[in-house]
Amino acid sequence: MITGTAAVQELREQLSRAANDRTPLRIRGRGHWLDAGRPVQAAQVLDVGALSGIVEYVPGDLTLTAFAGTPLDEIAKVTGAERQWLALDPPGPADGTLGATVSTASAGPLAHAFGGPRDNVLGLQVITGQGELIESGGRVVKNVAGFDLTRLFTGAWGTLGVITMATVRLRGLPEVDESVTIPIDSGSNSLPALLSSLRTLQIAPLALELLDAPLSRRLGAADAGSLLVRLAGNGDAVRAQRTILGQLGAVHDAPPNAWRRLREIELEATACAVLRLSRRPSDVADCIGAIHRDQPEGESAPVLMHTAVGRGVARCIVPGASAGGLDALLRKIETLAGSRVAERLPATHWSSMASAVGDPLSRRTKQSFDPLNILNPGILGEKS
Amino acid sequence: MPLDVARLAPELAAITGARGVLSRPSELLVYSADGLPSYRKPPSLAVFPSTRDQLIAVVRHLASVGCPFVPRGAGTGLSGGALAERDAVVIGLNRLNRILRIDPDNRLAVVEPGAVNAHLTRAVSPFGLHYAPDPSSQTACTIGGNVAENAGGPHCLKYGVTLNHILALTVLLPDGELVVLGSADGERDGYDLLGAFIGSEGCFGVALDVTVRLTRNPEAVRTMLADFTSLDAAAHATSAIIASGIMPAALEMMDGPTIRAVEASIYAAGYPVDAAAVLLVELDGLSAGLDADARSVEEMCRSAGARSVSTARDEAERARLWLGRKKAFGAMGRLAPDLVVQDAVIPRTRLPEVLATIHEIAQRWKLEVCNVFHAGDGNLHPNIPYDARDPDATDRVSHAMREIMQACVRAGGSVTGEHGIGLDKLEYMPLIFSEASLAAQCQLRDVFDPDRRSNPGKVVPVRSCREWHQLPSVRSAAAAVPA
Repeated sequence: MITGTAAVQELREQLSRAANDRTPLRIRGRGHWLDAGRPVQAAQVLDVGALSGIVEYVPGDLTLTAFAGTPLDEIAKVTGAERQWLALDPPGPADGTLGATVSTASAGPLAHAFGGPRDNVLGLQVITGQGELIESGGRVVKNVAGFDLTRLFTGAWGTLGVITMATVRLRGLPEVDESVTIPIDSGSNSLPALLSSLRTLQIAPLALELLDAPLSRRLGAADAGSLLVRLAGNGDAVRAQRTILGQLGAVHDAPPNAWRRLREIELEATACAVLRLSRRPSDVADCIGAIHRDQPEGESAPVLMHTAVGRGVARCIVPGASAGGLDALLRKIETLAGSRVAERLPATHWSSMASAVGDPLSRRTKQSFDPLNILNPGILGEKS
Repeated sequence: MPLDVARLAPELAAITGARGVLSRPSELLVYSADGLPSYRKPPSLAVFPSTRDQLIAVVRHLASVGCPFVPRGAGTGLSGGALAERDAVVIGLNRLNRILRIDPDNRLAVVEPGAVNAHLTRAVSPFGLHYAPDPSSQTACTIGGNVAENAGGPHCLKYGVTLNHILALTVLLPDGELVVLGSADGERDGYDLLGAFIGSEGCFGVALDVTVRLTRNPEAVRTMLADFTSLDAAAHATSAIIASGIMPAALEMMDGPTIRAVEASIYAAGYPVDAAAVLLVELDGLSAGLDADARSVEEMCRSAGARSVSTARDEAERARLWLGRKKAFGAMGRLAPDLVVQDAVIPRTRLPEVLATIHEIAQRWKLEVCNVFHAGDGNLHPNIPYDARDPDATDRVSHAMREIMQACVRAGGSVTGEHGIGLDKLEYMPLIFSEASLAAQCQLRDVFDPDRRSNPGKVVPVRSCREWHQLPSVRSAAAAVPA
């Protein structure tokens, strides 16, 4: 197997050949996202998954550079040995790749405290649609040299270039890191008031998710809904925050692996669709309420919902067994204020979603970096 | 092409009123620099819209006549970025300084681009909130300028830079088209054009309004001053704190020459004048646990060799410690009439060695260097006081600065952490980016400003862009693909 820089060169040649004969490419890492049903018209796969390995890690700098195909769990293992971590927890299996996380800008519950990939990526190496190997950003934690291509490629789903290497910011592992649940009825009318008072508490959690009743039950957190809170810091800080959270209800230790299971819940539920709704934090309770009210009583495979209440993002997981109710849910969501992002949909449904890159500026961007439209064409719903 | 001031001035005055246009050399002198003595060029025309509609009309008029322009905030950028080269019109944004909306519940505010950074924090403080990025120039610099530079500041160590605090922008593209980037009403998917715009140094257009994220004031703060007899020891203490998992809100270093300049000035903060370096370490957050973290930091400083570690007893003492740091640049005005400053960033483990190299370079060129910088994120600010009227000194300063920059790049660093490339660091861009990478940056610029009329000649060396245009153009890509 060719690895490292030779493999980057190989990918570059493959991409240049594809550009020559205008072969559209599907960019593939570990392949976890391929069944999300996104409508990509590609004749060949460009496999970045084999391009794996940590290139540079100096613990004292709290930065790490790795090839795009490096699995997140490998990064966690290597940095964990130095009591450090990459604070990104995108949905999906633990062996998802760094490249896919950055390309899709996938963020999990930790975004509450640390932001998403855009806030944690320091530099990238990318092959553009014209086969140019370029670098953006750097390996230091603060850097404003030049126009910010790093932000441009982060979350572009490979449509502007193929990420081959990334440098990320690491953090020291906290002395204490523990998670608690508090039973909260997420269907209650008092939810807006409750979330409002939650925002005023003197706590600084790493993650703060409101689980609806079906998801709470599934994770073994509570019978009704619950708050799942990740507290960190030194012992004094964590103890004090537990006490403060007691104002909301009984505080229990979270079930083991709650966060890992939450990240993989769509796999566990063999989800046919995953949708994110977001609004200002003060209004997100309305979203939650509206979805709840539409849930049929006694549904055997109900929609599972968890909401990052600090960020105002509600994530709805539609189990495969309730695919019949998907159309109704989508119609309901259409009527709600705020923004909608589809993570996963059946292939038949993607055409009903508006393109995220249909505006003139985005179209010019795509035209500039992938003028032949060979990189993941159609994945963002763009019409060529 | 020289600017046709006689024609353009009345046309712009018709939009802004006569008091919104300056064309006399004596009036324009103040707009000829942005704090760096090495770059000075008075513009021939400056326009100051006082409403959003006037700004839109000005930009559209300049687009219709094909005239380049330079958006300018407070002119505190220190990179030559706000200077009007090649007879571009300066668009001064200071009059668009209103805070349009504050939403304390969702912790956001909407401001005009000319709103002053510190005024925003003052306006939201009744709600227990503040705007986190805090450049040393925050009492003057504008939010629009901060967006253009992706400005930092001491507290960015914990809270992040401007990029991490902007939710949305309404942007007027150089051709007069209005676009909204990002969103305050929920996530946006699609390309992160908001992220691309932040730090584009005025080359991508003008922000008409800025939606910023506000940060809750910490429940408690501990501000500590650690005193070292060697720079090396202070650098090692920095590394130890950063690696420990405790994230200080700020971790600043000042060396002996800086300390002495500050202490001799009206900003005297009580720093020990015989120290080789001090660290100003601020911890903030929940009160519970803060003292335990403070004890750990103190222990780490002492292990690295600190003579003493003291904690500010009250808000007045804390303010005094910070004033000395934030006004250190001003205090250096006592040493010489002019001052140059760089802001390279290096990996934090390389601090001891690079600081020693900087000292060696300064000695060799017979210059004094004052280091006052964001040690926690490796963002150096070597300052060299000198007299710009002395051609020999000017020459030695420019050699020394170039060598310092090269040393930082060799250590794996970047040439700027928060001041931007502007004109000052154009020549260093090829040290850190390949031709292909610079060309890709030009491509991004061309997405926003295909005519390159907005702040022309900045950030990316023109040569890189020219070469790009000789390459197969993106506009004729079909023809460019080799058979």
